[in-house]
This record gives sequence, structure tokens and C-alpha cells, in this order.
Amino acid sequence: MARPEPTTGPDSPGTDSTGPDSPKPDRPRPTGPTGPAAWARDLAMGARFAVTGGRESLLRTALVAIGVGLGVALLAIAASVPHLSAAREHRENARSVNDEGNSRSIKASDRTLLYQAVTTDFHDKPVEGALLRPEGPLAPLPPGVSAMPAPGEMVVSPALDDLLRSADGKLLRERFPYRVAGVIGEAGVMGPDELFYYAGSDRIRPDAPHGPGIHDATVRIDRFGHEEGGDPVSPVLVVLMNMTCVVLLLPIGIFIATAVRAGGERRDRRLAALRLVGTDIRATRRIASGEALCGALLGLVVGAGVFLVLRDFASGITIRDVAVSPADLVPSPALAALIAVAVPAVAVLVTLITLRRVTIEPLGVMRHTAPRRRRLWWRLLIPAAGLALLLPLFGGVTMDPYAGDASTYQVAGGGILVLVGIAALLPWLLEAGVARFRGGPVSWQLATRRIESNPGPAARAVGGITVAMAGAIAIQMLFAGVQGEFVEDLPTHSQMMGVYRGSTPAEARSYTNSFRATQGVRDALVSVEQFAHKSDRPATGFTGVTVGDCDTLRRLARLDSCRDGDVFIADAPDRSAELLPGTALSMEDRPYERDGRKPRTYEWTIPASARTVQAVEDPLGRYHRGVLATPSTIDVAALPDPSTEVAIQLEPGNLEAVERVRNTAASIDPLMRVHRMGGVRKESNYAMIQQALLVGTGLLLALIGAGLAATTLEQLRERRRLMSTLAALGARRTSVVGSVLWQTAIPVALGTALAVAGGLGLGWVMLKVVNGTVRDWLGFLPVVGVGVGMIALVTTLSLPAVHHMTRPNGLRTE
Amino acid sequence: MIPAGSLLAASGLRKAYGLTTALDGADFSIHPGEVVAVMGPSGSGKSTLLHCLAGILRPDAGTVRYDGRDLSALSDAERSALRRSEFGFVFQFGQLVPELTCLENAALPLRLTGTKRKDAEATALRWLEHLEVADVRHHRPGQISGGQQQRVAVARSLVTTPRVIFADEPTGALDSLNGERVLELLTKAARETRAAVVLVTHEARVAAYSDREVVVRDGRARDMAGVHGAA
Repeated sequence: MARPEPTTGPDSPGTDSTGPDSPKPDRPRPTGPTGPAAWARDLAMGARFAVTGGRESLLRTALVAIGVGLGVALLAIAASVPHLSAAREHRENARSVNDEGNSRSIKASDRTLLYQAVTTDFHDKPVEGALLRPEGPLAPLPPGVSAMPAPGEMVVSPALDDLLRSADGKLLRERFPYRVAGVIGEAGVMGPDELFYYAGSDRIRPDAPHGPGIHDATVRIDRFGHEEGGDPVSPVLVVLMNMTCVVLLLPIGIFIATAVRAGGERRDRRLAALRLVGTDIRATRRIASGEALCGALLGLVVGAGVFLVLRDFASGITIRDVAVSPADLVPSPALAALIAVAVPAVAVLVTLITLRRVTIEPLGVMRHTAPRRRRLWWRLLIPAAGLALLLPLFGGVTMDPYAGDASTYQVAGGGILVLVGIAALLPWLLEAGVARFRGGPVSWQLATRRIESNPGPAARAVGGITVAMAGAIAIQMLFAGVQGEFVEDLPTHSQMMGVYRGSTPAEARSYTNSFRATQGVRDALVSVEQFAHKSDRPATGFTGVTVGDCDTLRRLARLDSCRDGDVFIADAPDRSAELLPGTALSMEDRPYERDGRKPRTYEWTIPASARTVQAVEDPLGRYHRGVLATPSTIDVAALPDPSTEVAIQLEPGNLEAVERVRNTAASIDPLMRVHRMGGVRKESNYAMIQQALLVGTGLLLALIGAGLAATTLEQLRERRRLMSTLAALGARRTSVVGSVLWQTAIPVALGTALAVAGGLGLGWVMLKVVNGTVRDWLGFLPVVGVGVGMIALVTTLSLPAVHHMTRPNGLRTE
Repeated sequence: MIPAGSLLAASGLRKAYGLTTALDGADFSIHPGEVVAVMGPSGSGKSTLLHCLAGILRPDAGTVRYDGRDLSALSDAERSALRRSEFGFVFQFGQLVPELTCLENAALPLRLTGTKRKDAEATALRWLEHLEVADVRHHRPGQISGGQQQRVAVARSLVTTPRVIFADEPTGALDSLNGERVLELLTKAARETRAAVVLVTHEARVAAYSDREVVVRDGRARDMAGVHGAA
């Protein structure tokens, strides 16, 4: 049974005992509500103080609401990732077709459709689509398409429609000999900037051969929609994803916990006034919780508004080259509910913990600032526990996506504990650090003593950015350490290459001529290639066989003379001959093309008349080592798996030439795709995580910057009278401003040192976990530069307020 | 008309905060070594007069002359330098820097003038001894009583050997015993150093420590010397 509380609150009727209507001694004294009712009453009173307590209260509530709101908005974005991913996957699956073996069992009918996926690129952005040939009036329509495009027609995504209509899309229009008959609806496109189309065709055939460079054969389908299994994700990428989430979400949590403490000192003075009129300690805590709860709830509303505003900018973010659709950015209901419950709960919890350090008496607030030194041991236990989770994983996470569980929770848990440990160590480091600072000018002395007497606010002010920097340094090291596995540096931007299904030497010659005639092309060579191995050494002894006319072969090797019927063995300048005349070679098709058939094999022996020659670089700078054969020496039609290789060199910097070459390729066959070489090609999941980190870090830094500015201004407001007193005593403005700047600079310097040490340590450990090596110990400098630069910017922006508050006439407020 | 021999004098001071007039043609003067009590009810403009005299506030009209110089003509930096070296201040709640020790607080004005820390603290210690609070020199303000805090504040106001001390309700937060002791020490020390004291108060017993009383009412200062006779 709940015990009645001795004193109830400011509304308690027990204060009128001296009045004429004071209760008789034998009458029971009225008491206020107890238990949940007392909670409800005091929480409501706190909420009322938060919104009706005058300008100061409103300002405090606004600060809390804005701070919490910004944090909530970022959490809502994070909570939207599952839906975003699911919505895109759903649309992708809905327009996918089953191109596996069982699709070949579908018989032609008036309900079937021939489908050939086709891809090109425009300005290095993929333009994907499909050629469609209905086999009857009831053939299925792709999602988002209302009428089947007839031969010579295409339906396009909105972004492709815009591009084709614009002047920029002129070269792309030349590639598509189709009339635009319609626009694909939302259900059929992945994102607002996706370039996608369906073109009607009367030429594709169900038996069109597979071939290198053509990712899908022509398939017969009776419906759209297929669950793509997707490639398994490398465990290293899972580790990267986990750490990215931890690094981005943890500072948000710290930020929210800090935001709900805004204006705490002023609130404590108000609570002291309530104590004076009879409120007991428990009631003051409940009232304070009510205030915090009100701020947090308003923060949820602000957060929802900020989220809706930010959502409109989602189309600026791309995932796998396609922009995010704002409509897909919807928080998952479960996560949204968790945010709605957890944020107010954190607000109340933090308030109650804060009040434990304060004794609110009727005549004032006593802060427990007695020199009780912060203890180090438990702060060290937290990162130690994190390391204890990570150390057993050393070398345990490999790149192999089939290697099994990446110990997801263990990695995330270890990372969280290490970063939380860094946040916990910061107040101790500040206290221990400034205790050693002696001497110095007045501004320095004022700042160090201020921090020494109460390092909490300073630690909170830079705690978020310290953890963010430590995490970013660790992630950056991790990215740099595993980059080689996912990123391929390509040599030059002025070369293009393509691999197409097999052709005859005559066709290859005609293709070469077409490409050479294209404006902006310096050199081009199209050759027919077949993979082979020595018949007596099936597992080793691989080589290539290139079939071409003498003009083509002269471009690949130094030939003294050449005529049809000649065969050459080409070796690179630095390699000795591995093939000899008379060697028997086996040529096979690739196992995954066989559909259970026996391999098709072509046996061929290098003629005794073959001459060894020296290979020269092709337009891509490669050496075609192996056999170079003229057309009459090999039956090209009998080759089991020939491919047509396209190598093109462009005039450097001529971007239009790139698109002209693609147009030429498309005019040969829409299925011929030529890639531009150069730059950096990233594994798509790796690129996605890296981009998420970049976008998330940007938002996080903006959040931390806003929070830091609010914290700085709030601290200035709290100390306004003291600063005015110093100014009245004649302190130079520079001394007062200097003390404010030192109060920021010292925690930032110590926090940065801790972040660098912690981040490098965590990065090293994580690299050990994924078997990576540290590639650059100084790679953290840009991260630190950005963090410190942001703080410098915020501090600079707060200087006018400092100037304003250090005027001696601030004393007038007394 | 500024009386001859005045160290600090003001004439025709006007100051308004928005629609509220705090000073409306106030005159004031003080001679070296003189203790003048500025009295009046709450909201009469006493503190505003003190702030104008000390160069903390610029009056809307009228002049303040210190040692022959017009304070209104001085820049903010020059007025700050004047407050640093020539004036001392005692406020109602001491207004000590909570993070500094009492010794460091008392030494602060000297350090602001560029005196080395050791020299500044040696001087401050002598004043703390003089004001009977040397035993709490290593304590922080939050660890000592209000009366002790106010004595430290008085020591702080005296370390630079100022020519004028401005005391704004220096005993307002103290009990009578402590208040009187603080006043005794303040006026005694001021007389020893020939410092003039502008003592803002609304308590008659505080005024008893002064040589002369000026009453501020409705923004006007009225010298009571003519009423009660010469001080």
C-alpha cells in the first residue's frame, strides 16, 4: 500500500494552517494524491512550467525540443532504411524476369513475351532496359507500363524522358532508334533519376545465344516478377555496415542525452523556489521529469517536421546509381514506435540522473561539486569489455561471402563499448588534464578552473564530436585497409572496352572500321577470341587464341609478313615462349553455359609452320599473348565459346566521343555494351556503405555543430552575470572572450587527442578482425580537420554573442 | 555646477530603459577620501547612478567627470582601463568567480592589470589578512559563508589601491553583525588609502558609516548635506 507523502506540492492545501480556516486538530489533514496520481499531477505541472513559465522557460523548452528534434529526425532517417531497402527491392523484383533454366520450359502462346535485357551507359550512368516482343495479345505488361510498345517504340522512365527531350540527351537520342510512346509509372522505376526503358522489337528470338558481355539471353516469360536471390554480402562488408551504424547512431544518442539537459541550472533554481513553498524532493524530481518529458515530446514533433523536410532532399542520395525516392523514406513502424518511446524515456532518465548530483533545497541549489575525483577504473572497464569482445575475432572475418556468420552482434557490441568507453573517459581526462595546467594568463586560468571545478558540461559539449571523430577515424582506417578488395583503380579515362558475343573475322573487321570511323576515336581494334588450354594439361597451360585478318593481327604483334593461312605464337617482350608449334589445344565453352549438357569442345593443333613473334600493345595497352591465327586456319563457326573483344582509344578528354562510340556499338547491336575505362570502380555494396557513411557523417556533423552552438550559447547565458562583473572590474574584452574560447579549445584539444588515440586503436583492432592491414596511419587527419574546423566555425559564430554578453551593462539585470 | 576639488562629479545625468526613466537630471560629486552614501527606495535609480559614475553605463545626457576627464569622451577600452586601475567594486552578492580560490579572486584585478601572479597574490594575501579572511584563501567561494565572501570581495576591490570604490548594496545579503563588520573594514581601509567610496544602500544604518548622504528619488539625486548640516 502506498504511503501518503508528507508534503505534496505547491498546490498542497497544507500551507494554510495559520489562517482562520485552519483545520481542527482532530480533523484529518488533507493530503494530495499519491502513487500514479501524484506522478500524473507532477508530470503535468512540469509540462505546464515548460510551456507557460515565461520567456526563459519557453527558450529552454525550445532548445530541448530543437536538439531532441534534430536527433529524432536522424533516427527517423535511420529507421527508414529497412523500408527504403524493401520498397526498392519489391519494385526491382516486380519487374525482374525469371531467366533461369525453367523459363525455357514455357511454351509460346498468346500469353507469352520474349524479353531481352539490354544495358548501355550515358555519361557513365547506366541506362538499363529491355527489348520486348509479345507473342500474343495477352502477353504480360511490365509494372508501370499501360500499353506494350510496338516495334520501333519505347516507353521510358520519367528521368530518361526528360533526358531525351533535353539538349544534353542529343547523343543518347541517336542511340535509340525508337519513338517514345509513353512514360513508365512509379511502380516500374527504382528511383526518380533512374534511366530505364522498354523497347518493342520484332527481331529478338527465343534461341538467341548467350554470349560474353550479354548478361541475359532472350527468355520467354508469361509474367513479370521474380525473386532475385542476390549475392551474399562479404562478412567484411557486414562489419563495415555494423561499424557505420554504430558510428552514426551513437553520437545521436549522446546528443539527445545532452540536449535534454539544456538550461538545467535555471530549472534547478525554479525547483528550489517550489521547495520553498512545500514541494518535497520526490515531487521536484517528478516535476523536472515532466518538464523534460514535455521537451522531449515536443522534440518528437519537431523531429517529425524536420524529417519530412529532409525527406524531400532524399533524391540527392543515390544507392547503386539510382536516387532514393522520397516516398520510400518511411520509418519502419516498430522502429518509429521505439523512437517515440525511447526518446522521452531517455529524457526522463537523464533528468533523474542529473538531479542525483544536485540537492535542491528551499533556499537554493547545492551542487555536489565537492572534490570527489572521477574514478578511472570503471571507465576503463567499458572499452576493455569492448576489446574483449573483439579480440577473439582477430582474423576471424574473411572476404569470402560464403564463409558464414560475421559475428555481427559481437562486432557491433565491441565497437559500441569501445566508443561508449571513449565518451566515458572524456570527463576523467578533462578533469585530470586541467588539474595539471598551472599558471598562464587570466583567460587561461579562468577557463581551466571552470573546467576543473565542473568538467561535466565541457565533456558533454564535445562528447558527441569526440565519439563521432573516433568512430570516423576507425571506419576510415577500416575502409582504407580493405579498399583494395572492393575498389579497382582503372588506368585511364580515354579508353573503352567491350566484350560481345562471337563474330566472324569479317564482322570483326567491319566493326573495327565502324569504330575507327567514329568521331573522336584515335584507334580501335575488334578481334575474335577463344579461351584454350593445352590438351595434355587441362588444369593449367591456359592461353588465348585470337582469330583475325592480317591487318588485325599486325596491330597485335610485329609481323614481318602475313597472309591468310599463317599462324603466329605471340609472346610479350618480358616473357619466354610457352607454346610451341605442334602443341595440341582444347577449346571449351564455359561450364555455366551448358545447362547440364556435355561441354562442347574444339580440338586444334598449332601448325608446325607457326612462327613465334613479339606481341605489341593493343589500343588498351594490353598484350595478346598466345595464338594469333588467320581466318582460314581455324573454323570460327565451330569454336564453342568465341567472344568479340572491342578495344578503343579516344582523344583524351573528348567526352562526346565516349557517347559516339556507344552509339556506334548500339547501331551494330543494342546488346553490344562498351565500357569506359578509368577512374575508380567500386563494388556496389562497398560504395553504398561508403556513401551512407559520407551522408550520415555530414548530417551528424551538422547536428553536432547545431548542438555545440546551442550548448555554447546556453553556457554563456548561465555565466552572463559573471562575465559582466569581470567587465565591470575592467577586464579586457580579450581576456573575457579568451576565457570563453579556452573553455571550448581545451576540451576540444583533449577530446581530439582521445578521439585520435581511441579511433586509431579501434581501427587497428577492426582491421585485425577482418585480416586487413593499416595502409595509412595519418589518414585520420582529414577527419580531425573537419571536426576541429566545425568547432572553430561554431565558436566563431558564437563570438558576437560573447561580445554582447561581456558588456558591463549586463549588470543592470540585477 | 561641479564643486571644486571633486574627484568624481556628475551633472544633469539622464538615463532611460525603454519607457522607464531611471535618472532624470541627477547631480553628484565626491572628494578624495570621502565616503558618500547614495540612498533611496528600490527602483529609484541608485544602481543606475553608480553604474553611470563608474563608466559601466553611458548616460543618455549629462556628464561624468573623473579627475578632470569626461568619461563619456573615453572609449570602451579606456573606461575599462580606468575601472581596472582607478576604481574598485563591491557588489551585493560578492560576485566572486566560483571556480577560483579566494586568494585568486582577490588577486584578479591585479592580474588583469598585468601584474605577475605571485606578486598579485602576495598583495591580495595582505588584503585578505587585513580583512580577516586569510584563513580561507585556498577555499572556493562556495565553501565559505556570505560574510566571508563579501570580505573577499572588499579585498578584491582594494588590491589595486583604487581612488574610488563603488559599493552597491555591499551588506544587502548579510546579517546585521556581518554587515556592520564588513562596512567597518571597508570604510577603515578606504580611509587608510584615501580612497573615495560611493556606497549605494537603502539602509539607514549603513549610511551611518558615510561622511555624507545623497538621496535618489524619481531619478534625481539630492545632497542631504544641506538638510542635515555639513558632514
